[in-house]
Amino acid sequence: MSELEQQFHAPMIQVLLCVADDKLFLGHRNSDWTGIAPILEADIAFSSLAQDDIAHASAFYELMSSITGQDPDQIAFSRQENEYRCADIVTKSDQFNWASAIARQFYCNVYDYLRLQRLSNATWTPLAYLSKRICAEQAIHLDHVTSWIEHLGNGTDDSKIRIQLALDEYSPFASMLSESPEGIETLFEGGILIDEGCLFTAWKEQVKRIANKAGLTVSVEPCSGVGGRNGKHDEDFTRSLSELQEVFLTDPAAAW
Amino acid sequence: MVNIETIFQVLGTIPDPEMPISITDLGLIEDVHIEDTTIQVIVLPTFIGCFALPVIAKEIEQKLLLLNGISSVEVNFINDPPWSTDRISEAGKASLAEHGISVPEGSSPCCTSENSNDVELRTSAVPCPWCQSRETTLTSPFGPTRCKSIYFCKACRQPFERMKKV
Repeated sequence: MSELEQQFHAPMIQVLLCVADDKLFLGHRNSDWTGIAPILEADIAFSSLAQDDIAHASAFYELMSSITGQDPDQIAFSRQENEYRCADIVTKSDQFNWASAIARQFYCNVYDYLRLQRLSNATWTPLAYLSKRICAEQAIHLDHVTSWIEHLGNGTDDSKIRIQLALDEYSPFASMLSESPEGIETLFEGGILIDEGCLFTAWKEQVKRIANKAGLTVSVEPCSGVGGRNGKHDEDFTRSLSELQEVFLTDPAAAW
Repeated sequence: MVNIETIFQVLGTIPDPEMPISITDLGLIEDVHIEDTTIQVIVLPTFIGCFALPVIAKEIEQKLLLLNGISSVEVNFINDPPWSTDRISEAGKASLAEHGISVPEGSSPCCTSENSNDVELRTSAVPCPWCQSRETTLTSPFGPTRCKSIYFCKACRQPFERMKKV
């Protein structure tokens, strides 16, 4: 079905914003490494990851725009803080610690990949086609970050200690990924999205499997309470948002 | 009177901005419609949000507007069907190979149900476009453009690019 019924608009917008906001902020954080990553290939990789993520975010904002008629750039840059729907792990600064950047990328990539696989099964075809297409690109991201986890986990004692510390440091933020988009049940009940069980559980199994293979451990519990998916953000988010909006707000009506 | 063949001939002269291949050989053109003096071109983006897309759209408009009796050209991008590397023509593959860019064989992972099984990963054996040896290694999954990875051939000791299998 290519048209989405009115009653599903509001919850669908929430789902699209969760995906797009996650990708926009993660892409922004990854672009921090452009020019200064430890080796040339890693530099190209992180710049490409950033470019991919921001392009994917833009495609999801455009899809949302097909429902609301708003300008995609305005959706991306001119909302109030509590209208953003990202899980705040994507806005956590890695303090230019390479292991932290890899840990954040690992947690977020596995989650993104599984989420897109599920969205590929949507009965609303514009979402299904876009997700399926992006999923193929995302598989390359996942393969890449998995290679870094293996590389660091099976590397030297030093690299193993550092990546383990980073995985532990990011666990509390990774737990934020357990929060669901508001009203997603309506989309399951209406047959727009397929309920394939708990996404967080599937994510946890996958990250554990990859980490364990590299001799690392992951321990993450679902978060309690309300967080980013419901618009409640912390100070790292605020800082990231003001960085993102800095140029845009100098002239919000400018053509890009 | 402008017909579909003429339009495809014109489209065939438009190169991809980032690779030595025409946009028709790259398989970007899904459909063309003519209505009175308007041409509508349906284009499939290679990578979502690729920076070359606006350049391609502008080029299509400019070239087709030169045709006799055409007053407007519309370029629309769609994701269904998704573009994939199997849409590249044999002539296109040959032209890319001459420039050291190899193209994956087989159907695209985004056209099948099992995404992960068909994606080319760092462990896949990839033939060198220069000497056909399979003694190659992945240098970087990310390359000069979003659609390409970088490899190195141990047999002929040359680097080469490969389009990501999507």
